[in-house]
Amino acid sequence: MFTLQTWIVQALFIFLTTESIGELIVPCAHIHPESSVVQLGSNFTAVCVLKEKCMNDYHVTANEIFWKTGRVTVPYEQYAVINRTASSVTFPNITLINALLTCNIRMFGQINRSVYGIRIISGLPPEKPKNLSCIVNEGKKMMCQWDPGRETHLETNYTLKSEWATEKFDDCKAKRDTPTSCTVDYPPVYFVNIEVWVEAENALGKVASDHINFDPIDKVKLNPPHILSVNSSKELSSILKLTWTDSRFKSFITLKYDIQYRTKDASTWNQVPPEDTSSTRSSFTVQDLKPFTEYVFRIRCMKEDGKGYWSDWSEEASGITYEDRPSKAPSFWYKIEPSHAHGTRSVQLKWKTLPPFEANGKILDYEVTLTKWKSHSQNYTVKDTKLTVNLTNDRYVATLTARNLVGKSDASVLTIPAWDFQATHPVTNLKAFPKDNVLWVEWTAPDESVNRYILEWCVLSDKLPCIPEWQQEDGTVHRTYLRGNLVEKKCYLITVTPVYDDGPGSPEHIKAYLKQAAPSKGPTVRTKKVGKNEAVLEWDHLPIDAQNGFIRNYTIFYRTVIGNEIAVNVDSSHTEYTLSSLTSDTLYMVRMAAYTDEGGKDGPEFTFTTPKFAQGEIEAIVVPVCLAFLLTTLLGVLFCFNKRDLIKKHIWPNVPDPSKSHIAQWSPHTPPRHFNSKDQMYPDGNFTDVSVVEIEANDKKPFPDDLKSLDLFKKEKVNTEGHSSGIGGSSCMSSSRPSISSSDENESAQNTSSTVQYSTVVHSGYRHQVPSVQVFSRSESTQPLLDSEERPEDLQLVDNVDGSDGILPRQRYFKQNCSQHETSPDISHFERSQQVSSVNEEDFVRLKQQQISDHISQPYGSGKMKMFQEVPAVDAFGPGIEGQVERFETVGMEAAVDEGMPKSYLPQTVRRGGYMPQ
Amino acid sequence: GDSWGMLACLCTVLWQLPAVPALNRTGDPGPGPSIQKTYDLTRYLEHQLRSLAGTYLNYLGPPFNEPDFNPPRLGVETLPKATVNLEVWRSLNDKLRLTQNYEAYSHLLCYLRGLNRQAATAELRRSLAHFCTSLQGLLGSIAGVMAALGYPLPQPLPGTEPTWAPGPAHSDFLQKMDDFWLLKELQTWLWRSAKDFNRLKKKMQPPATAVTLHLEARGF
Repeated sequence: MFTLQTWIVQALFIFLTTESIGELIVPCAHIHPESSVVQLGSNFTAVCVLKEKCMNDYHVTANEIFWKTGRVTVPYEQYAVINRTASSVTFPNITLINALLTCNIRMFGQINRSVYGIRIISGLPPEKPKNLSCIVNEGKKMMCQWDPGRETHLETNYTLKSEWATEKFDDCKAKRDTPTSCTVDYPPVYFVNIEVWVEAENALGKVASDHINFDPIDKVKLNPPHILSVNSSKELSSILKLTWTDSRFKSFITLKYDIQYRTKDASTWNQVPPEDTSSTRSSFTVQDLKPFTEYVFRIRCMKEDGKGYWSDWSEEASGITYEDRPSKAPSFWYKIEPSHAHGTRSVQLKWKTLPPFEANGKILDYEVTLTKWKSHSQNYTVKDTKLTVNLTNDRYVATLTARNLVGKSDASVLTIPAWDFQATHPVTNLKAFPKDNVLWVEWTAPDESVNRYILEWCVLSDKLPCIPEWQQEDGTVHRTYLRGNLVEKKCYLITVTPVYDDGPGSPEHIKAYLKQAAPSKGPTVRTKKVGKNEAVLEWDHLPIDAQNGFIRNYTIFYRTVIGNEIAVNVDSSHTEYTLSSLTSDTLYMVRMAAYTDEGGKDGPEFTFTTPKFAQGEIEAIVVPVCLAFLLTTLLGVLFCFNKRDLIKKHIWPNVPDPSKSHIAQWSPHTPPRHFNSKDQMYPDGNFTDVSVVEIEANDKKPFPDDLKSLDLFKKEKVNTEGHSSGIGGSSCMSSSRPSISSSDENESAQNTSSTVQYSTVVHSGYRHQVPSVQVFSRSESTQPLLDSEERPEDLQLVDNVDGSDGILPRQRYFKQNCSQHETSPDISHFERSQQVSSVNEEDFVRLKQQQISDHISQPYGSGKMKMFQEVPAVDAFGPGIEGQVERFETVGMEAAVDEGMPKSYLPQTVRRGGYMPQ
Repeated sequence: GDSWGMLACLCTVLWQLPAVPALNRTGDPGPGPSIQKTYDLTRYLEHQLRSLAGTYLNYLGPPFNEPDFNPPRLGVETLPKATVNLEVWRSLNDKLRLTQNYEAYSHLLCYLRGLNRQAATAELRRSLAHFCTSLQGLLGSIAGVMAALGYPLPQPLPGTEPTWAPGPAHSDFLQKMDDFWLLKELQTWLWRSAKDFNRLKKKMQPPATAVTLHLEARGF
């Protein structure tokens, strides 16, 4: 390629230079050497010689020559002008290069022209090839390889040469792509020594390797043997015989063999001792194999003296050793199932299939023998690995043997104790822990001699029942792992039961995980009770399927909307926790995480709000307040009651009894002091027993204060009124008419008491409405009532008067109210008229605004009739159209304001005329 | 004269001293290995010839490839005869045996090359060429043993090679007969050589025999 390129380039230059001068073929100059391969690190000198014709045509000499490598001008320091026509360039210590070196001239001082070029390639001479070695694959030709040494950077040919002492063989030229090996053309001739060497050659030199002399038979690599068969022996279950066919070489050389074998599932090979196979043979019997086991074999061979190469491994061949009787008794256990029949037990005997290395063959069936204590035994032949039998409650001994084609195993013996047997002697310090991806169980043996241990385990789950798996361990074992397909994140309940001669001991249980994980869900927390500053949280334990490990602790996270989250760790045994120091009336968010050894999982968030007040707080405030109010009221009432005299004094100051005045005693015209109560209208001592009703017809202006007091007063008296009103008829007597009564009893009472109490009956109607019910005010008077039995007659009288007059609404009113009493026949008109007249008289007196004591006393003395007759007149003064009630209500006010009098008394309507204003 | 003979004998012994294993174990192992190798080679050639002959006889076709075909030895007098009377064979010394072997194989190789030139199929030619090469190796091997034992190589018999020419006088059948006998004679010679070299090998095995051999050789 390089050569071709060089020629093209040269041709191009030649064409260019020759064309310019109108001639063909003849180049303008030439370089010596024509082309060059230069050894790395050496000096190289090239000389450019100009032709005379060119020199003349272009008027150049060697001084105008300059050199270029590629497009780079070589520095002038490297030039040397030899003579007028020749200039040289020298490259000292040449590096790795593959470049075009051109000789150029500068014509007319400015035009540059290339006149010739050569290619310079640098490289190294070949190194002496080392480590020449040859191999003869059986049936193929000899191949030799070598180490060519350093890179030459040049095209280097390697030739493998071989010769006998008497004859030379054809050279073997290494291919370009595999310059380190060559396969000769001729078939090998064995047993004749051959001399072989390799020659390396390139442009910079030629070198041969050391010669090696060998017999090709010592370099041979045989074809691998072919295994014909692997045969087992019925007599010996521990051997397999291997037969094979060899290479054809075995007829003229001695071979040795290498045999390897392994069980089918194993990965490592066992080696048959080489000394057993150090000579040519075509079969071998491998010993010490396991019965009924499939073995895989392979074999290779080489020349016995070790010269040459091992053949490749043969194809693998396998064979199965013959069966042997089972080497071990099967694991044997039982389970008592509940039985309906009384006195019998349903016992399920169960056993494990023997692993192949113990079964030593195909297990055909199992033989179970059940022996009741001192009784005949029963035999069962079972193909399955369990047997359910009904046994009595006695003690049984069960034996089990496994049978294969060759024989029976030893017997497993199991004692099924009587039903009332008490298991004892459990194992102690039972521990279970995962290690190396299996679950180990460890325990301390009981003091008793244990025949074997039974380990049972099952997955604890809420969804699935506990279906136990089991395994048996020898009595000497104290630690084992569970040989089952255990799953991670499942809780295993492991039971270890020691088995003694007389039956099983007490089982011990433990829970374990093969590998724990964080719970698959978190606990759901909720509030049980929320207080003002605390909340009682509660939650349920996680279901076991969600635990994925042992729950070591819980963490409660709670926070307010704005506050930081607070975490509280809670022991895993708790299902309740009280959060304290909460803020009242605040929304709290709480969630809970459950942690196993491997991590935790949050449950859903729960929010609750603390109340503003604690429970009972409102009650605690309200009840005392109410009580206090009640107490205050009560105290006030009591106070009022106790101090009623004082109050009365303030409200109703004592009006001096005119009868006791000195004037009365002193006056010679004092009426006789004693009247007959019935006959004498105004007895002496009862002069003040006058109810005064002041009716202010004109002035309707109310006086709220007094009115109020009046109302209050009225109210207080309401309850007692009815009682004190005496007989029903007498209530009609409580007319608004003032009445003056006198009696003996009154008189006597007058003497004992300086105060006179009164009762007021208020007819309360609103505006024009007629009250339907009479309202009574009654004083707690100590003053004896006027003789009430006679009073209805007074009313009667009034009625009569009304009826006769027919004009007074008041009277009509009373008539209506008292209509039922109108018929009272037994009251004399006279007495009635007397009373009415006294009232009217009083009214009259008030209207005239005269001193009560002065004016009233006079009509008494002057005559009753006059006063009686004046009644209509009095009424005529009133507006008449106004409701009676209003008039009555305003009565007291008029008295107080208009007369400017102290509250010496309130105007009163006298009931039955038995009370007196004071 | 005797003195020259004695001197020559002494010189030979002295020259051979380094070859005595007892004196120099690391040096030239002597002719023993080469004899063994020559023996192995004869065995190997035997083996090789068996398959070659089978192929070639099949190529010749019946009756030559029939197992019990045993034609009379006609017109192949120039072929060296391997069969020899047992007494005669026993009476031969090593040099004579080696010389006879050498000469026989030289001739046989010559004939075989002729056979190769006539072979019809390329495969057969390749096999024959290989066998020729191997036989060439055997010749070299015998020569090596003879050299190791100090025997001179026999001069090539003049005219041996040119005499073997597929003359037009031969009919095709006779030609095949010649081929048959050539292969048969080769086989016989290989058997005989194996015996010869086995005998020689046994003779050479005790290291001490090296000197004895040379003394014997001197005597010869």
